[in-house]
Amino acid sequence: MTTVPVPSAELTVGRQGHYAGAVSRLAAFAADVGASWGAYALGAALINAAVKLVTGHSYTLSNHQVLALISWVVWEFVYFSYQWAVSGKTLGMAVLGLQVVTKQGGPISGRQAVIRTIALGLCLLTLGIAFLGIVFQRERRALNDFLAGTAVVYDWDARAARLRWMARKEGPLRRGPEHTAPAP
Amino acid sequence: MTPNPIGSKVEQLAQALAERIVPLIVDAIDIDTLLDKVDVEKIIERVDVEKIIDRVDVEKIIDRVDVQKIIDRVDVQQIIDRVDINAIVDDIDIDALVEHTELGSIIARSTTGVVTEILDVVRAQGVGLDDFILRWGNRLIGRRKRLATWPEGPPLLVGPTVAP
Repeated sequence: MTTVPVPSAELTVGRQGHYAGAVSRLAAFAADVGASWGAYALGAALINAAVKLVTGHSYTLSNHQVLALISWVVWEFVYFSYQWAVSGKTLGMAVLGLQVVTKQGGPISGRQAVIRTIALGLCLLTLGIAFLGIVFQRERRALNDFLAGTAVVYDWDARAARLRWMARKEGPLRRGPEHTAPAP
Repeated sequence: MTPNPIGSKVEQLAQALAERIVPLIVDAIDIDTLLDKVDVEKIIERVDVEKIIDRVDVEKIIDRVDVQKIIDRVDVQQIIDRVDINAIVDDIDIDALVEHTELGSIIARSTTGVVTEILDVVRAQGVGLDDFILRWGNRLIGRRKRLATWPEGPPLLVGPTVAP
C-alpha cells in the first residue's frame, strides 16, 4: 500500500520567513492572473447586464478594445496594489503561503505596493528576464522587488501544517497491518 | 557512714587505666578488616523485612503527619518561579507527542479539511521545487557553493546574516 510521505521538517517547520523561490512565486502569480481575470470577466458581465437593464441596449466591453485594455490595466493595478498594500499578499500568494515584506522583513507601505505593481508590469515586458533574480540573486529578489525595496518570503503556518501531516499518519493510509480491516 | 578511701582510689585508678587503654585498643583495631569479615549478606538474609513491615502501622504514621501543614509550608510561587517553563516546552518532542497520542487525531479532526490538506501538499511541493530550481539553476552557472553563504531570509525574520 502506498503511503503519503510526511514532508521533512526542513521543508515545513523551518521555512517560515525564508525567501520564497521561483516555483511558489510563479504558481502564486498564475493563480492571481486567473483570479483577476475571473473577477474582471465577472465585473464586465455585470456591467453589461446593468447597462442592458437600464438602457435596453447590449454593451460588450470587448467591442471597445482600447477601453477594455485601459479598464483591464486599471483593474490589474487595483487588484495587486490594493491587496499588497492591505495585507502584503494577494489571493494567489495567500494560497501558496507567500508574503511581500520590506527588504528588512517588515510590512510594506502603500507606496511600496504601488511601485511594486507598476514595476511588475514593466518586468512582464522584459519577457521574464527581470525575474531571473529570483533564482540567481542572493535575496531571491526580482527587478520589481529591487525597485520597490521589497522581498517575498514564505508565510504559511508551517508548524501547524506539519502537525496536520503527523496527525494524518494515524489515518487508514498510515495504520499498520494490525489496524487494517481484513480483506473480504 | 564514711566512704571507703581505698575503694575510691581503686575506682579512680580503674578509670584512669580505662581512659588510657581504650583509645589504644580502638587504635589497634583495623575497622576495615573487621568489616570485611562481617558477612552483611548473611545478616540481611536473617532479617525478616516483611515481618518488620507488617509490624509498622503505616496508617498510624500517616495519621500523625499533618499534610496540610506541610503543604502550607511549601512556597508554591517560589517553585513556579524556579521552573523554566520554556526549557520544559523545548524538551517536549511535539512530533512524538502527536504521533503516539490521540492528540494527532484531535488536531486532524479540528483543523483538517480537504482544502487545508490540498494547500499543505501544494505548499510543501512548491518549497521542494523552489529548492530544486535554485540549486540546479546556480549549479548550471557554477555558483552552487555560494548558495551556502546566501541569507535564508530578511534580517527581521531570520536574524542578521554575516556576509562572507
